[in-house]
Amino acid sequence: MSTANALPAPRRKEAPGRRLRVVEQPARRRRPRVAYAIVALAGALSIGATQMVLSILTTQTSYELATLSGEQRSLTWQKQILDDDIAGLSSPQYLAANASALGMIIIQSPSYLRLSDGAILGSGSAAIGASTVDALGRAAVPNALISDIPLVTAPDATIEGPPAVTETEAAADGTIVNPNTPPPLTEGLPSPSTH
Amino acid sequence: MTTRSTRSPRRRTVIALAVVLAVLGAFIVRLVDIQVVNAKEHISDSMEKALGSSRPLYGTRGSIVDETGQTLAGSILVYDGALDPKNITAFEAKGGFPRTPEGGETVRVPWAEAAVEIGAVTGQAPEAIQAIVAAAIAENADTQWAQLARGLTTEQYRTLADLGIPYLSFDPHPARTYPDGAVGGNLVGYMSSDGEALGGLEQSQDSCLASDDGKLTFQKGKNGVTIPGTDRTVPAVDGGTLQLTINRDLQWYLQQLIAEQVQDQGALSGAIMVTEIATGKIRAAAEFPTVDPNNVSASAIEDRGSRIFINRFEPGSTFKPLTAATAIDAVGMTPLSVVTASGFENFPNGARIGDSFSHPAYDYTLTGVLIDSSNVGLAKVAEQVPAQTRFDYLTAFGIGGGTSIPFYGQAVGNLPTVDRWDNQSFYNIAFGQGVETTLAELSGAYQVIGNDGVRVPLSLIESCTAPDGTVTEPEIGDPTQVLRPESAIAVQQMLANVATQSGHAKNLVVPGYNIATKTGTGEKSDGQGGYKRGVYFTTLVGLAPAENPQYVVAVTLDEPTRIKSSGANTSAFQKAMTQVLKTYRVMPSTEAIPVLPKFG
Repeated sequence: MSTANALPAPRRKEAPGRRLRVVEQPARRRRPRVAYAIVALAGALSIGATQMVLSILTTQTSYELATLSGEQRSLTWQKQILDDDIAGLSSPQYLAANASALGMIIIQSPSYLRLSDGAILGSGSAAIGASTVDALGRAAVPNALISDIPLVTAPDATIEGPPAVTETEAAADGTIVNPNTPPPLTEGLPSPSTH
Repeated sequence: MTTRSTRSPRRRTVIALAVVLAVLGAFIVRLVDIQVVNAKEHISDSMEKALGSSRPLYGTRGSIVDETGQTLAGSILVYDGALDPKNITAFEAKGGFPRTPEGGETVRVPWAEAAVEIGAVTGQAPEAIQAIVAAAIAENADTQWAQLARGLTTEQYRTLADLGIPYLSFDPHPARTYPDGAVGGNLVGYMSSDGEALGGLEQSQDSCLASDDGKLTFQKGKNGVTIPGTDRTVPAVDGGTLQLTINRDLQWYLQQLIAEQVQDQGALSGAIMVTEIATGKIRAAAEFPTVDPNNVSASAIEDRGSRIFINRFEPGSTFKPLTAATAIDAVGMTPLSVVTASGFENFPNGARIGDSFSHPAYDYTLTGVLIDSSNVGLAKVAEQVPAQTRFDYLTAFGIGGGTSIPFYGQAVGNLPTVDRWDNQSFYNIAFGQGVETTLAELSGAYQVIGNDGVRVPLSLIESCTAPDGTVTEPEIGDPTQVLRPESAIAVQQMLANVATQSGHAKNLVVPGYNIATKTGTGEKSDGQGGYKRGVYFTTLVGLAPAENPQYVVAVTLDEPTRIKSSGANTSAFQKAMTQVLKTYRVMPSTEAIPVLPKFG
């Protein structure tokens, strides 16, 4: 310290206000603040923890996702199976064959009732007993999707037509008895006989 | 050996530093190589060999729907099953694959037993399945793939998968299904099992219907779980929906009807075509025999297409109304103009023309010529019109012009130009001989008559709706005025009189409606420049209701044998027209058609 004072002062311009001066006493060392350390450490730990939690959650979710997509897959399969089951049941030939098995017929021209004056337009005649096409007996519009599916209204038949009647089914008097055909009505609707 | 330099501490530092830097440099070079130069390769390697996985996302081929939106062709998923013969051999060496039933003990299931279980689901004989594997092994002992069965349904696939057989794998792929079977099969067409469009509109409209497959790539962690954030999807693009003008219920009825009629009449084939007059839309195009697109192989090859669109034929007398219309419109004849015609006549230019029945010289009205379908009478009508005018009118009617319907292999009528008309064909073309047309062209010509002279080109396709909702309607061309309205109405009235006064009249009654018809018994070429003897291509074309035509119905039979002339078509026509009027709720006629005299 003394040697420095003995040297001639350096000849240089000194910026005003930046004079060196002797420190009277060393500045008192500040005590490190524990709070800062705790905050920094807690911050670091909580970042780490959050990241871990997030990562666990993501992993967890990805398992859940896998389960759900598995579920979705199996539902899709179920839907496909059900779709396959009903494929073709909406086709016109299936509807027509079912209706035909019930004894319904495709008629000729219908008549129309005009509401404004009550006039009946068209032939006005009753439907004749025969269908214009034979949708069951001579089914000619195939559909491979439903060729073995029994008709709702006649479980023995398919859209390909009724089953071939075997000899055992033919009654003794030669008439063919088809269990699905109701007996013809000869004397009006049957009614219970009462006294 | 020591030198000065090694002993110098400064130098030693420099050398050590150099070595460290060299090593570091090598690492950096390698790092750049891995991370930058060959980065892609390494990433793709890791994807391929370790983590990555991808599967195709199949786009759905567009549906084909009818006028009312009912599906005629749709898409489903089917599965191809494959076996791993090498794996089978490996398991077989240990006595079969292990299976642990729930709560039971692990048992080994040998291949023979597995084959029985598989066969029970696929319907194959167990021996056949074993033979497939044996054949694959015989070809290549190390093979890991042998096709078990193709086109398995989802139910079969799930049942097989539940068997837990480790050497059985499945590959899903989209396939086509036709819910209505053969209804419209002739128009819709069909696809191969590989998904290639092979016929009909499936083929010609492939650009509307086809889908683009997408791809899902992802990285798999343990247990096959997708690593979060690694999935990349290239979405599949579905095909568009193709809507037809066809009504499937009407189409079914007419297919059933024409099938019965072809069988009843002992014909080779038959067709019915229904056209809506105001719009030119084809509402039904039924034919027999035809194809069930679900089971194409059940049909003969020649029955898999559409005869309606690929056949052309000599129309015969159904051409007469076109000639009559020309005479009325171009040279001012009327339905009551009189021509004198005998049963057979030699014409001044050398042509010889006869009617289908012999009769003395009659003073036919133009209406009478059509009622009796007199060739001689019509020849005398035709000769009053210049040949070029007749050609121009027939062309304007659409004869020989084809249609704008996109149907592969579509036939176009053959109307010879006037310079190719000889003395005989000058007359014959007037009544439909020496000229060929198609059912679509003929229906189109009657559409002109029914639509008061305005030709609206026929259409079969309503629109194509892309998955994003844009609707594209096909270009069909603008309507053209072919006949003056009064000429067309005159022809309608003449045809209504044909329906009530011709020999077929009583078979053609549609109760409640006035109809207008014309029959045609066309000759068939025998392929050697002559005509086949005794067999014909018969047609019957009609409009209804006659006072305000709304639908054209055309029925054809190829070589009917029970009734050989166009009388064979009357039953089919009567039923078809009745059904058309019923389907579209056309109100019955309330006014009578003026009765025109047959003789003048």
